[in-house]
Amino acid sequence: MKVVFVDVERCVGCRHCEMACAVEHSENKTLASMLEETPQPEPRIKVGLGVDLMTFPNKCQHCDPAPCEDACPTDAIYHDDEFDSVQVIEEKCISCGMCAMVCPNDAIAYRKTEEDGNDVAYKCDHCIDRLHEGEEPACVEACRTDAMIFAEANEVSNMRQTKLFRNITSQIRGQGSHKEVPKNIKEYKKLQEKIAHLGPLPSSKKEEDSRV
Amino acid sequence: MSNEIDQKVNERTIDKDEKQTLKRTLEEDIETAWDRLEEQQPQCGFGQLGVCCNSCKMGPCQVDPFEEGPQRGVCGADANLIVARNLLNDIAAGAASHSDHGREIVETFYETAKGESQGYELLDTEKLKNVAQDVGIEVEDRSDEEIAKELGETFLAEYGMIKGGLDFTERVPEKTRKIWNKAGIMPRGVDREVVESMHRVHMGVGADYTNMLLHGLRTALSDGWGGSMMATELSDILFGTPEVTESTVNLGTLKDDMVNIVLHGHNPILSDVVVKAANNEALVEKAKEAGANGINLVGLCCTGNELLMRKGVPMAGNMLNQELALATGAVDAMIIDYQCIFPSLPQVAKCFHSKIVSTSEKSKVPGAVHKEFHPESAYDTATEIVELAIDTYKERNPQKVEIPCEPMEMVAGFSVEAIKDELGGTFEPLIEAITSGQIKGVVGVVGCSNPKVQHDYGHVNLAKELMKKDILMIETGCAAVASGKEGLLVPEAAEMAGDGLQKVCESLNIPPVLHMGSCVDCSRILTLAGELANALDVGIDQLPAAGAAPEWYAQKALTIASYFVASGFYTVVGLPPNTHGSQKVTDLLTDDLEDVVNAKFDVEPDPKVAARMIERHILSQREELGI
Repeated sequence: MKVVFVDVERCVGCRHCEMACAVEHSENKTLASMLEETPQPEPRIKVGLGVDLMTFPNKCQHCDPAPCEDACPTDAIYHDDEFDSVQVIEEKCISCGMCAMVCPNDAIAYRKTEEDGNDVAYKCDHCIDRLHEGEEPACVEACRTDAMIFAEANEVSNMRQTKLFRNITSQIRGQGSHKEVPKNIKEYKKLQEKIAHLGPLPSSKKEEDSRV
Repeated sequence: MSNEIDQKVNERTIDKDEKQTLKRTLEEDIETAWDRLEEQQPQCGFGQLGVCCNSCKMGPCQVDPFEEGPQRGVCGADANLIVARNLLNDIAAGAASHSDHGREIVETFYETAKGESQGYELLDTEKLKNVAQDVGIEVEDRSDEEIAKELGETFLAEYGMIKGGLDFTERVPEKTRKIWNKAGIMPRGVDREVVESMHRVHMGVGADYTNMLLHGLRTALSDGWGGSMMATELSDILFGTPEVTESTVNLGTLKDDMVNIVLHGHNPILSDVVVKAANNEALVEKAKEAGANGINLVGLCCTGNELLMRKGVPMAGNMLNQELALATGAVDAMIIDYQCIFPSLPQVAKCFHSKIVSTSEKSKVPGAVHKEFHPESAYDTATEIVELAIDTYKERNPQKVEIPCEPMEMVAGFSVEAIKDELGGTFEPLIEAITSGQIKGVVGVVGCSNPKVQHDYGHVNLAKELMKKDILMIETGCAAVASGKEGLLVPEAAEMAGDGLQKVCESLNIPPVLHMGSCVDCSRILTLAGELANALDVGIDQLPAAGAAPEWYAQKALTIASYFVASGFYTVVGLPPNTHGSQKVTDLLTDDLEDVVNAKFDVEPDPKVAARMIERHILSQREELGI
């Protein structure tokens, strides 16, 4: 089971993934020609602002079993076995909104994909054309910081466990965290947290204060 | 809904008077910088970390700040070099802005000396002689015009390379000059350093980030002790050296029964003549014929500060107040020159009857009426603009006017000369107060507004904390205006200060925060520091002093912070410059620079923490001086 894994600590909010996604789903797959298209393709991934100026790239995670697939009254959503992905047959979509209602990741929107067509369920298709060519999804390829990687779930989990073992033992040895985030980036994140707290953008501290 | 709006308003500003207007913008969908900041989220981390290089067509390139993905751009530049190039680029832009403003002042001054300008005179001839003598010009038995002509030529030459040095560096204490010479950062010419910066940021001109940034300090010094200082000194000669003056501040300075003209931007050249035109009785009469009780001039940003300092013109506010001033519905004409003017102003003006009038050939704005200013025809242009404002007043819908508050009193006009006057003609009492410990130190609080942090929170809280610690503030720009709105620019504010500072303020009848002018007037802070250091026979780096820019946004502020540090001020900025993508550049700025110029930068968003850092620095400076 190959999935796109997100490492939220590494997302810097550059939105390269959004741009790459839109281009990948355009007619000629170039930025310049995309801008001429009607309707214009939009990204199927969205990078949003969380607290403390942290960001998260959100998209369909291709659940199995997929609630959207179960909820669809016209069988417009099906599971693709070859790449373990959830796909939409746009011609069958009746714009009822059921799939979006049940999506646990809020990753389904509705858009026209043809000029005179209806609004159809619009979501990540796992770049299935690219997978057939043996390539990674466009968003993963575009990510410079490896905030998104495309890999076997077990492989990623093993990799993460290895880090976790080192972290825990390093901490027991009193060496703090073994990891891996450079000092300047840690400092920067602390500053971002303070700025969010002192300004109008969402901040963990403000949310905590408002709960008290 | 209204709860949500109230929460937004409270998160956006601490200025209680502007909250009503801010609320109006949210209720009536009048777009402001705060809304655009929200729209812009998330903002790219590569840019914020300084590791994005968009300079050439092999790029744009980004370095992975987590040190695993790409570590060099296509050309081979690593994170250190990309961050350093970007920072140098910013410093050069800031220096160019101040210095090009200075150039226009020098040019107008020169035309005035030759008798070719309209509406200007050499107003402060005593200062003319002092400044001329400072730069080695003979003044005995010569007419003011002759002296001014030579001074104008001398200053125009400062921009080029013929002299190879800047005259005002003569004001720099000997010990500070030695530091600059040793570090190789003595500025050589105003335009030269900026042009050389632009050269150095090109691909393939060196790869040593330290070398790149030392030139950044030199470029910044060419602004502080060059372009900005000329702007300040010649503006004083043309328009009068500021004297202590009472005025008012905040959106309440707009009047519902007057023709409201807002003067916004940075350069006093045209606006000073507008003040003259607006006092013209025929025009005042015309305003009355249009149904108004007169003409009300108010300032915004640093054009406002220039007029406040010299003419006592009230201030509508600082940078983030520009859209709010329009959103009162009471502005008839907003006259803009350049810098810090939101390109979107005509959009807000369109919600009302207001007109935006652009005046600089360099700074045209779609949707604005353009009335181009030239020194030869300045008074005619000013008259035309005031007439336009009167005509626009007739279109005003009184139903849509909402002025949120009554104006706040303030005292401004603290030029170096005015401070000296207040002290009785010598700096001795100030030096005495500092050495005796009544005043622990002096901090230059400067810089902008930035919607990323609550409006005025940083400025106001830093000043309040520092005054409690017996530290005197000298402020310029948006910082000074924030203090004004909060009521810190009146002598009574000294009640909030520590005992020592309070006594000094009471005996001199001065506020604990001294408004020294516009952002180019940060050069006044340098001049004052030079005077104090010379009196104590030390370098500027040894003074119990510091700099701060709690809410900065502009490249100009980075340049000011850089010339503060290069001159020897420990300087704390409230938002990090885009440099954290490089550990080495961060270390250089916040640590290693100390070995070069005996001063460094620090970053601290929380003003209360920043105040403690500054106090610690000042106390250790005092200890080293043995006072």
